[in-house]
Amino acid sequence: MSVKYVPVQWNPNKWLYNAAMLGGVTAFLWIFLYITPEALSHERPINPQIHNARAFGACAFVMLTVILCIGPLARLDARFLPLLYNRRHFGVMTCFVALTHVGFILGWYFAFSSQGGLYGLLTANTSYGQVAGFPFEAFGILALLCLMTLAATSHDFWLKFLTPPVWKGLHYLIYPAYAALIGHLALGILQDQQNHVLTALVIASAAAVGGLHLIAALKAPRMPRLAGEWVAVGRTSEFTEGRARITLLPSGDRVATFLMDGTLSAIANACAHQNGPLGEGRILDCLVTCPWHGFQYDVRNGRSPAPFTERVPTYNLRRTGDLIEVQTAPNPPGTPTTPVPVT
Amino acid sequence: MDFAALLLTLMEIWLWTGAAVALVFLTWGIDRIDPDARGAYVFRPLMVPAILMLWPLVLWRWARLEAKAGTFMARYRPLRRAHPAAAVLLCAAMALLLSMGLSARQDWPAGIAPVQISEAGE
Repeated sequence: MSVKYVPVQWNPNKWLYNAAMLGGVTAFLWIFLYITPEALSHERPINPQIHNARAFGACAFVMLTVILCIGPLARLDARFLPLLYNRRHFGVMTCFVALTHVGFILGWYFAFSSQGGLYGLLTANTSYGQVAGFPFEAFGILALLCLMTLAATSHDFWLKFLTPPVWKGLHYLIYPAYAALIGHLALGILQDQQNHVLTALVIASAAAVGGLHLIAALKAPRMPRLAGEWVAVGRTSEFTEGRARITLLPSGDRVATFLMDGTLSAIANACAHQNGPLGEGRILDCLVTCPWHGFQYDVRNGRSPAPFTERVPTYNLRRTGDLIEVQTAPNPPGTPTTPVPVT
Repeated sequence: MDFAALLLTLMEIWLWTGAAVALVFLTWGIDRIDPDARGAYVFRPLMVPAILMLWPLVLWRWARLEAKAGTFMARYRPLRRAHPAAAVLLCAAMALLLSMGLSARQDWPAGIAPVQISEAGE
């Protein structure tokens, strides 16, 4: 949460997450380097630099695959939400693993380029007009630039400075990064395969990422967009204590109406941090907790508890009989509202 | 100057411009537009790589914040609606690239005896 910026806001959960991640990366590299050379088509002798480059490249690909699976999995099943919690650290580490891969490549294939390794990389193959022999390195460079952009803007400062929608839009670069990585592999290492283990792994990974994203998109709840200055949220009997009903407003914004201690209050459904779905969170100690990263708000005024300063817009409610309606015009973030009793 | 050299030169100019923006923004601008940054200095070097890469975006946001432009709701509009389009485009791009790669794949000439195509000593 906010207050003063620090390089990393460590807590026990992040230590645990990062330790598991580091353990996984170490295990993957060890298995790749020492256990599976035959399975990965390294029958022909390769030197340690190429072997290391392939190990780190494969590791970055697997890491990016896992990262991309976490989002749709968390949307489909809340039990995967803990994996979402520290995904940015996962992304930064993936970038460093990918940079290590590039370091080995430049240090081996382009070490003696007369105008530097990058120049050598850009000029070694320029056959862009053909598929066979296409300079697959270009796809790798594109993927790396995307990963570097994501890693460089991973700090919470960028979320606040750019605003969550702009930041999220920027971080959609993960999709071209993954597609470019598939192109890098398909036109690169997969051209030189004696056995088909890696080919099968790449196709399975792409199918998992693409399939999960399509399923999550198809299963996303569709809500009717209501019209009017006041729109119906639901009947009083339809609310559950500590939970919210989410309503789509004429503006396209969503409002989350919470039942807490027998009274209803409405706030924007988008968390101030990353626009996580507040309406899918639950109320603990008078505060709704965002299911993505645990940011908390008092549903009566849309404010985080002191000393934190995050705020979300609030909405006015009214009750007509047992029908609850919400005013479609939002109040500025942090505006207190009068809770509406359900009885 | 060939294209690769030109690209690297332009990249160098881009990064030096970004370094200038980073210097001004991190020593002066950031304190003007973000209260949470005031008195916090250790995190600032971590901001440098992003400013080097995205300095036009930084300048644009800095100007918007200085001008207090935009409505408060602009911060609370998730890009949820873009998910299905992103999923379809990603699947199409991956299918295209994989089919291109696999169709261009050639068999390794294992078992074919090497042929001398030039005279010995040439």
